[in-house]
Amino acid sequence: MRKFRFMAPALSLMLVLAACGNGDGGDGGTGGSPGDGGDGGGDLAEGDGSIIVTSLWGGAEEEAFRAVLEAFTESTGIEAEYEANRTDYATVLRTRITGGNPPDVAIIPGIGTLRSLSRDGSLIPMSELGIAQGDIEGNYAPGILDVGVVDGELYGIMVKLNSKATVWYSPERFSELGVEPAEDWDGLLQLTADIKDAGGTPWSLGAADSWTLTDFFEVAYLKMHGPEAYDTLFSPEGDWTDPSVQETIDKMTELYTEENVDGGIDGALATAFVDAIAKVFGSNPSAEIYHEGGFVGGIATGQDVNPDLQGQEGEAIDWFDFPTIDGNGAGLVTYGGDVMAALVADTDVAAFMEYLTTAEAGQVWAEGGTIISPIVDVDTSVYPTVLIQKEAEQVTSAEAVRFDGSDLLPGTDLGAVLQSALRGEEMGPILEEFQTQVSAAWESE
Amino acid sequence: MTAANPPVAATKADGGKRPGDSFPWAALIFLGPAGLLLAVFLAFPTVYTVILSFNRGRGGEFTDWVGFDNWIRLFTQDPNFLRLGFPPSGALWNNVLWIVFYVSVTVLFGLVLAVMATRVRYEAFIKAVVFLPQAIAATSLAIIWRFVYAPDPETGLMNAILGIANVGPVSLLGNPDTVNWALIAVGVWGSVGFATVILSAAIKGISSEVLEAARVDGATEPQIFWRIIVPMVSLPISVVAVTLVVNVIKLFDLIFVMTAGGPGASSRVIAFSMYQEAFPQGQFGYGAAIATVMLLLLVPVMIFNIRRFRAEAVQQ
Repeated sequence: MRKFRFMAPALSLMLVLAACGNGDGGDGGTGGSPGDGGDGGGDLAEGDGSIIVTSLWGGAEEEAFRAVLEAFTESTGIEAEYEANRTDYATVLRTRITGGNPPDVAIIPGIGTLRSLSRDGSLIPMSELGIAQGDIEGNYAPGILDVGVVDGELYGIMVKLNSKATVWYSPERFSELGVEPAEDWDGLLQLTADIKDAGGTPWSLGAADSWTLTDFFEVAYLKMHGPEAYDTLFSPEGDWTDPSVQETIDKMTELYTEENVDGGIDGALATAFVDAIAKVFGSNPSAEIYHEGGFVGGIATGQDVNPDLQGQEGEAIDWFDFPTIDGNGAGLVTYGGDVMAALVADTDVAAFMEYLTTAEAGQVWAEGGTIISPIVDVDTSVYPTVLIQKEAEQVTSAEAVRFDGSDLLPGTDLGAVLQSALRGEEMGPILEEFQTQVSAAWESE
Repeated sequence: MTAANPPVAATKADGGKRPGDSFPWAALIFLGPAGLLLAVFLAFPTVYTVILSFNRGRGGEFTDWVGFDNWIRLFTQDPNFLRLGFPPSGALWNNVLWIVFYVSVTVLFGLVLAVMATRVRYEAFIKAVVFLPQAIAATSLAIIWRFVYAPDPETGLMNAILGIANVGPVSLLGNPDTVNWALIAVGVWGSVGFATVILSAAIKGISSEVLEAARVDGATEPQIFWRIIVPMVSLPISVVAVTLVVNVIKLFDLIFVMTAGGPGASSRVIAFSMYQEAFPQGQFGYGAAIATVMLLLLVPVMIFNIRRFRAEAVQQ
């Protein structure tokens, strides 16, 4: 009878150990790390010549990042060790922090997590490391650094980003079916109908990973209602019962219907993100179009899906801009990205932060082909594939870019709301309930 | 069972040693180490957690006191934990479903299997097969069943079979209306062996004279089952049921591996909610409130257990 009982005691034990750890150390969770000599940026503690950086990247993303770390070591002589936690990243990070053993630098996915960690006092503001926002602002596309600002202090610096306004397809198969990418919403619906008429299944959808739905909602909302409404919605003032939310959801359910989606809605709700990519780009494809971010290219041509596609970028795999909706939203792009934050204040960490804001670091990273660098001086020609070059151009030439909204919300599950919408549930009460939940979560931040 | 034992031991020890005129040094020395361990690993964290549930608990420490805010939010503003209405939903309600259906079905199957197994020659083999899932770690069991339920008939055994009958594919784990039942079925599959083995041993303990007497008096087999076997193994049945209830309240790994609480939050249970809020979300105070709910739910079960152990002690 040992089956289901391990975790609960283990968790309570972790809670205790975490508590003990903090009690003993006293300095792990409160921002003043063991080596923290003073408060000002001027007299940072001397580092020991090595740092630990954690993130959740593996595979090609990890390789590309390791190249950056090597370049950093070469240029500064400071050893940089990489630790990957592919799953349960936030859990492991928080456990390390409460245990008084934080990594020096953590790449943090999700601004909600960044905000909560900075308010917990676990993060070192950049100013304490001698990095002023004004000094590095010019290195970045406008507005990019603001994403990492919490309560007026810069805590996180955006290190990589991906467009989420990309719709993926295979040009070869499109021409076999006799269809073309769409430019506006009506065109997209027409394209969907045409693929069905030609005997194909239009859409692949990996809605088991509900963030794929939030990505769709966000880009559609931005295009339909504009950046201002977008900013309000994903702030503490946001009103989820506003008709604009329902309108956007209606667009989503107009497109993702039982007939348009491979495997039907139930099938899509049980399909994971990567499996959905494989439905379009695997060796045995069953659908034609897939909406998700720029990172789809790397995954589709990687080991997990179909390495045979390598070298066929632009022919067997390509993407088009998320269409405009009712004539609105051209040049508006949503993006997702990760920020880096310091958990220890010493000279090594400061040097690392400083290095990553340089075009040199951005260039090395960009060559890996998994990311778009937010640093403006990175030459787009260094991106190894035409897909990523196009993506970088889309983001840099955009009229306005907005950060992934669900990553801005405090611990709530917009994805679950959208999953309900997909199943055709009555949205009024669900959105009201979500509004209550979101405002409670903002309040308890 | 182990979870139930320490409080019992402590109660007995306290009750037995106090009425002495000289200070019981020997008792103190013998009980000290156990008492210290209990204090450090059971009493302290319990008290800490309960107090933390009234705090924001940033970083797991006492940071700012929020009174009953966590509790109010938990029961009124968090539909993932409890949504009243018809039908109700949320983690707490899912646990109720688990307690009612998982426990009763497991006990029933276990009992039926135990009775039937005693009547065949290959009893040992049957019991070994039914007991086999007990030897599989819960995470492995969860992964096996994730494959069984996979919507793609090429990987999913269930949909492959349904495909032969031209049904489906269906995705039990992708649909909030079916996900809890699919998970409960896995839980039952994993625990029936335990119930069977315990109940089978109990049934063996019924003296054959009783059964023969009943048969001679003309009782039918169903009558023997309901009027004789079930009442005579009622104590082992309650042992099994209580153990299963405790397991359900602490249920975590199966959910974590198979659905991560999804789709949405539809298959969350209390322990999973506690993890989700406390660790990835970093709301330790809120997570502590959920942990306290778990504790409160376990108290009546513990009291029941303690009473039963006392009753048994009296009988002996």
